[in-house]
Amino acid sequence: MLAPVEIDVATLRRMAALGGFAWTDAELESLRPTVERLLEMLERLEAVPIDELEPTTQYRVL
Amino acid sequence: MSELFWASMADLGRMIATKEVSPVEVVRAHLDRIAALDAKLRAFITVCAEAALQAARGAEADLMADKVVGPLHGVPWAPKDLYATKGVRTTGGSKILADSVPRADATVVARLGEAGAIVLGKLNMHEFAYGPEGLNAHYGDARNPWDARAHRITGGSSSGSGAAVAAGLAPGSLGSDTGGSIRIPASLCGITGLKPTYGRVSRAGVLPLAWSMDHVGPMTRTARDCALMLHAIAGHDPADPTTSALPVPDYTAGLTGDVKGLRVGLLRAHFTDVAAPDVRAAVEAAAKQLERAGAIVDEANLTQVVHVAAASSAIVASEALAYHAAWIRSRAQDYQQDVRERLRVGAFVSGVHYVRAQQVRALVSREVDEALARRDVLLAPATPIPATVLGERETTLGDGTSDVRSALIRLTRPFNFSGHPACATPCGFTGSGLPIGLQVVGRPFDEATVLRVVDAYQRLTDWHTRRPASV
Repeated sequence: MLAPVEIDVATLRRMAALGGFAWTDAELESLRPTVERLLEMLERLEAVPIDELEPTTQYRVL
Repeated sequence: MSELFWASMADLGRMIATKEVSPVEVVRAHLDRIAALDAKLRAFITVCAEAALQAARGAEADLMADKVVGPLHGVPWAPKDLYATKGVRTTGGSKILADSVPRADATVVARLGEAGAIVLGKLNMHEFAYGPEGLNAHYGDARNPWDARAHRITGGSSSGSGAAVAAGLAPGSLGSDTGGSIRIPASLCGITGLKPTYGRVSRAGVLPLAWSMDHVGPMTRTARDCALMLHAIAGHDPADPTTSALPVPDYTAGLTGDVKGLRVGLLRAHFTDVAAPDVRAAVEAAAKQLERAGAIVDEANLTQVVHVAAASSAIVASEALAYHAAWIRSRAQDYQQDVRERLRVGAFVSGVHYVRAQQVRALVSREVDEALARRDVLLAPATPIPATVLGERETTLGDGTSDVRSALIRLTRPFNFSGHPACATPCGFTGSGLPIGLQVVGRPFDEATVLRVVDAYQRLTDWHTRRPASV
């Protein structure tokens, strides 16, 4: 069973900075529960057997 | 002529074409109704009274010169305020675009104009379409016309479309649907709303929420009206490279009422089995009615849809923030709080998450295709719950509880994810008089069969003809 995802504000700050976003600690703290839940859900997708599937986003020359 | 505002688009078109009624009369009847009711319902952000009357006079002149362009000639409608309308502000339900006036119509707005339809105004919505509740801090929350005592949500994000069509302020609307934003308000407001196949209808000129999940579609009171609107708007558009070149059939031709031999799968587990008891009973009754009419009904399960919530959240969050990034950096304070937070969450989804979510998308799409290989349509509730009271955050789902937002999108979102066409239509009312929505899902580009089933169901029942007592 996967452990619950816990992220601190400092980690959120670094993650947001990678995307060019600079938010206050209060703003990040407000987002933290939602982000933790989302990342937990996304971790569970690791167990889904999709390795052989092409993603639906593809580049094609028309 | 009284109560023109309750006539269908098809009937209005016919009455106009036969000169039984003038387009000016029809438009005026709707404008009067908007003036009488919209202060309470808050369905509209902008009303284009003068322009609508001028267009109606033009339609009348064409009519008298025997220049009727089609079945929607002179028929009024109103788009969600996500659709660019030339010379008319298009706010996206936002403060940020409050003064934005497009120089050109969205493709589908132009196509309906070419079909002779007349814009009454622009409809309220959840800010930037990013919410299934239909809330708007800048223009007011649209009010569900089915409850006179409590302020209930209309559902969203096409909130104004749901309220306006349900209350007779407009006979038809175009909404948009990224996770259910046509079908949720259709379900909660007791109207008919169609999310077509991804790529069936152009999104050019429609403010995006998430490019790969957004769909454009009609919201009306009948399947026939959805068919008329879809016929006018569907088809390839060079301005939207995701649109299909497949020919557009006459969607009204198949509306025969005949469902004999049609194979229908009632979706259990994730769908019907967790719904509120009233909702479950109504959907099961709908399946039985179709069976009595000659359809072959069995039960179906989609087991991979349990992954949709995570995967679609990753996709929508990433794509939405990509579109809004500049505003989120410079004008974050101008968003309503829930939308600002939903947008910010997108910053924490990695590229790997996004690609894996698109792999899950292939998995789920394949499963829906397999279920439809043996059947013509699938049935489910459109929403597992009826309209909640404004401010209600939690609801019962199955044996447990859920937040209202997740409950509202649970049953619609899988088909944005997979791209299959899906239509919501009323199938009953709860014990307290709130509409219940049935969802009919079809094969890609088989909107004709979806509409055929909905139309047949509407001939067997009268749920779609009921009107809110409070208006």
